[in-house]
Amino acid sequence: MMPNNLFILQSSPHFKDKDSVPKIMYAVIISLMPAVLASLYFFRFKALFLYLACVITALITEALFLLLRKKSLDSLSDGSAIITGLLLAMTLPPSLPVEHAVIGAVMAIAIGKQVFGGLGQNIFNPALVGRAFLQTAFPVAMTTWIPPITQKINTATFATPLGNLKFQDAVAQGTLSPLKDLFFGNIGGCLGETSALALLVGACYLFYKRAIDWRIPVGIICSLMVFTGMFWLINPNKYASPLFHVLAGGLIIGAFFMATDMVTSPVTPLGTTIYALGIGVLVGTIRLFGGFPEGVMYSILLMNTAVPLLNQFTRPRILGERRKK
Amino acid sequence: MPPRSIGEEFTKGLWHENPIFRQLLGMCPTLAVTNAVINGIAMGLATTFVLIFSSIVVSSIKKLIPNQVRIASYIVVIATFVTMADRFLAAFFPLISKDLGPYVPLIVVNCIILGRQEAFSSKNSVGRSFIDALGMSAGFILALLILSSIREILGAGTFLGHQVLGSWFEPWVIMILPPGAFITLGILIALTFVIEHKIKQRR
Amino acid sequence: MSLSSRMVIVLTSVGLISGALLSTVGILTKERIALNKQLEIENAIITVVQGTHTSEKLYEEKDLVVYGSKDENNQLIGFAVYASGTGFQDKIILMYGTNPSFTKIYRLTILEQKETPGLGAKITDKDAFLQFWENKDSSKPLTLRKPAARSPEELSPFEVNTITGATISSESVLNTVRLSLEKLMSLKKEGKLGNEE
Repeated sequence: MMPNNLFILQSSPHFKDKDSVPKIMYAVIISLMPAVLASLYFFRFKALFLYLACVITALITEALFLLLRKKSLDSLSDGSAIITGLLLAMTLPPSLPVEHAVIGAVMAIAIGKQVFGGLGQNIFNPALVGRAFLQTAFPVAMTTWIPPITQKINTATFATPLGNLKFQDAVAQGTLSPLKDLFFGNIGGCLGETSALALLVGACYLFYKRAIDWRIPVGIICSLMVFTGMFWLINPNKYASPLFHVLAGGLIIGAFFMATDMVTSPVTPLGTTIYALGIGVLVGTIRLFGGFPEGVMYSILLMNTAVPLLNQFTRPRILGERRKK
Repeated sequence: MPPRSIGEEFTKGLWHENPIFRQLLGMCPTLAVTNAVINGIAMGLATTFVLIFSSIVVSSIKKLIPNQVRIASYIVVIATFVTMADRFLAAFFPLISKDLGPYVPLIVVNCIILGRQEAFSSKNSVGRSFIDALGMSAGFILALLILSSIREILGAGTFLGHQVLGSWFEPWVIMILPPGAFITLGILIALTFVIEHKIKQRR
Repeated sequence: MSLSSRMVIVLTSVGLISGALLSTVGILTKERIALNKQLEIENAIITVVQGTHTSEKLYEEKDLVVYGSKDENNQLIGFAVYASGTGFQDKIILMYGTNPSFTKIYRLTILEQKETPGLGAKITDKDAFLQFWENKDSSKPLTLRKPAARSPEELSPFEVNTITGATISSESVLNTVRLSLEKLMSLKKEGKLGNEE
């Protein structure tokens, strides 16, 4: 008998990290909790119903597709569908009817993820696909906002800080929301995007777990600040400050939790940097010159489409391969 | 391959060689005008008119046309019938003509029509070409009808302008916009492939 | 017969035959198409200047046509202005009626638009948009009411309403009207709008 411990023939990878898909996914879920709690505090039951509707629908849709594709239901427990549901709910306005949220969650999983072949195959961030669908399908409901409970105003509708900036000329009128309110979340907006503080607490946990690439949020924030800062320096009476742009709208949640999705962001450091800078510039362009007040969703989706190309162009040279002239 | 029966010549356009779902031809009008059932039907009928008459003319003059100028001749024949259809719509159905806009003149470059002349009418008798054109048109209308019904019902809650879904229904505006066309068509094509696959497995 | 001469003959005859066919169809349908266009314009004029008996085209340029409306007694009762401007997606073509001195806008109607269905496309909707344009005082520049008012009574005579969620479409309608009014004023000064009293 040949001793079988002399040669082990095996293809790579030879070293396996102890990280696994479910581990990372659950780290992301934990990191989202501060923002979820903050939104429950600001919007109470409306927020709770939206979270429940999105997560449950995402899980059911995922299960249905796995059955249809004759795959094992095990991957249901990897947490990816829960994240899609959670992230989708966090990007919805609190007053959105629950049935619309359900449609969005179905579309996020079905069209955003499963038609491409499930986790790891999708081109776009599934939660943002769901949101983009809702934005186009129900444009009025998706742009109707209610004030957080902490604001003691009794109005049915309420404008977001970015909406004020775009449509009410808030800088010139001096009605721009104070940065303090933006930071703590005392403003109108989507469920999860209002409190920058809660999001950043969660993001710290992700950095501690090394679950996201620091280049993406840093790149997005830097390029957006430089871009909007230029206009602010030229005319501070017309343009809002770069800090306002970073704290307002969905930038923080987008930069830390959506653009960093491992499946839909580039793998090389250079590619990642280009990707992040691109998102920041696109967000700035849409916010300052576009028809919509907010552009984080479309910016991330657009840069998602560039990811395969970025991966290909920034592929590191293989050891021994000649430099191209 | 044994020659097809007349019946098969007609039915192939409905399913096995359906211009939209199986050949993926004529995508531009399919995506653009199916936001309402009435537009889908009008586009289908206009295309049918052009396809049938072009097929008859091309198959009857096929022996006269030198091979080198065949495409040019086909296009002139097709463009003639398209312009006639366009003028007819503008004169008698101004509202539909306005809704369809540039898509009626664009039938000229609809690949279904040129494709049928090149692949079928230029090689077959007038009778067979007529049946083929009829089948292809029926398949085209069928596809437009399915697509536009789904889009109008979900996107506006109506069918042919009549309210079919109750007031509880909040229309999905996306369905009558271009993204809705792409999503619906994609799902329908996937479905036809699944069905075709199932049929083949059973044989 | 050589190939090239055959090619020329075939192409020429195909072209000739289809040309002949098309000119026949063209002649047969020309009148009806012109009639359809005219009917559309006339209907719009009657909508925006009520009581119009006859109307005539007084001035025409790119994106602006002015019709004078007269009642049964051949008295000038107003102008119908056909104007177009850029909307959110594409051109918006509209028509509005004014009194002879341009100080009052009777009514507005949208002839062509490609705005977002369910949002900007509401500019064609009477309840959501057009009723807020009835009988406006245009002796001062009109302004847009933001956020939207619920009923026409809430608006001052110089204000027109916004459609919630479609500010840009509402704004472009207002801008089109404003710009064409300015143009009309200068045309009137130059005496290009006929010799009304």
